[in-house]
Amino acid sequence: MSDLHVVLAVARKDLLHELRSRAATVATLFFSAVTLVMMAFALGREQHVLTLAAPGVLWVALTFAGVIAAAQNFQADLEEGAFEQLLLYPVPRAAIFLGKLLANWTYLTALGLLLTPVAIVLYSVQAGAGAWYVIPAALVLGTFGLATIATFYAGLTANLQAREALLPVLMFPIIVPVLLGAVRATEAVLGRSELDLAGGWLQMLAGFDLVYFVVCTALFHFVVDE
Amino acid sequence: MTDTPAIQLNGLTRRMGNQQVLRGVDLEVAPARLVVLRGGNGAGKTTLLKVLATRLRPTSGSARLFGFDVLKEQAEVRARMGMLSVMGGSYPVLSAHENLSMAADMTGKDRQQVGALLERVGLAEAAHKYVRTFSSGMKKRLGLARLMLVDPPLWLLDEPYAALDDAGKQLVDEVVSQARARGRTLLMASHESDRDALTPDAVLQLHDGRLRRAPEEAP
Repeated sequence: MSDLHVVLAVARKDLLHELRSRAATVATLFFSAVTLVMMAFALGREQHVLTLAAPGVLWVALTFAGVIAAAQNFQADLEEGAFEQLLLYPVPRAAIFLGKLLANWTYLTALGLLLTPVAIVLYSVQAGAGAWYVIPAALVLGTFGLATIATFYAGLTANLQAREALLPVLMFPIIVPVLLGAVRATEAVLGRSELDLAGGWLQMLAGFDLVYFVVCTALFHFVVDE
Repeated sequence: MTDTPAIQLNGLTRRMGNQQVLRGVDLEVAPARLVVLRGGNGAGKTTLLKVLATRLRPTSGSARLFGFDVLKEQAEVRARMGMLSVMGGSYPVLSAHENLSMAADMTGKDRQQVGALLERVGLAEAAHKYVRTFSSGMKKRLGLARLMLVDPPLWLLDEPYAALDDAGKQLVDEVVSQARARGRTLLMASHESDRDALTPDAVLQLHDGRLRRAPEEAP
């Protein structure tokens, strides 16, 4: 049994679970849609304000969705002692983490791909040159960083009574560099065409993703074991 | 390695918050034995099983399974034991078949066995129903099927008869007897007294965190 099979088995199980229960889907879609619409109303009709705000609002919606999705993912496992059973299998903790990360990342990327065109239309933003590849790159890298940190901290707080309050409190200070890189890279190609600037932010985003990925994967066993 | 005990506990203690749950437990169980662990609620049976399953760390003392330390050699320990927990440990929104297939994927076992095992535990007709629709007894049967699929050298059974009807209890007796005949070691925490179908090698009483009877002696 290779570790890759374990990763894929855990990811498949999590995605199947979400597909059927829709526990996170309903909450995240509703929350994200409400965030985008309410902020569009709140910002008024000044086009330059909408253009400036669109990337930030999009990534705030995705960040909160990431918190909800990761928390729901662990909550579902805890219901019948299934996560405890998962930890009894003779498989590396890192493989379990990567499986859960893969499921959360896939989910958040799909959500991002759904929300981005909605935000572009809702905020009447013109996509600049290079947007067709910068925005997908920012989505893939940004959601990867988000999913990595959300999965790690959701595991850390899963058994705590105040997990709903603690998860965002612990996670948000850590997520700032990812959020900054993703927002700035998106901003550089919405209403503008500053490809050099976008490239720099994407590189920074990739760097933070790598650091968080290595650290969270290496430390996950401390999170789930005594 | 046949002389290596399946379970070896020396002065094992475990504290949970302010409460001392296990107080210096000594135990040695030879391979291929069936040991029944009795004790009232809160006596420490589940805590002891969880320490052996690497889910709780001993506060002091040592615990070794087949010579491997539960603290320092966890991967080796997990490769040699499986546990039937009180909660069942299944995913509610997956079917019984999917739950066992997942267990097969996680342990490198053949998925082809899943159908036959579900039939053996009386869940053939419910194989493709979600576990959230199952009764407690059906969940217990599914947990038993998972343990049969993995079939580790050491079986840790936490209240295996709980929530089961008479047919289910008889099934547990049969499965335990067959596992024992195959040379598996079984440690069973149970409130059920005197199951006629089982003749344990030792019956131990855990009271207030202490084992009352002397450790099993290998013949």
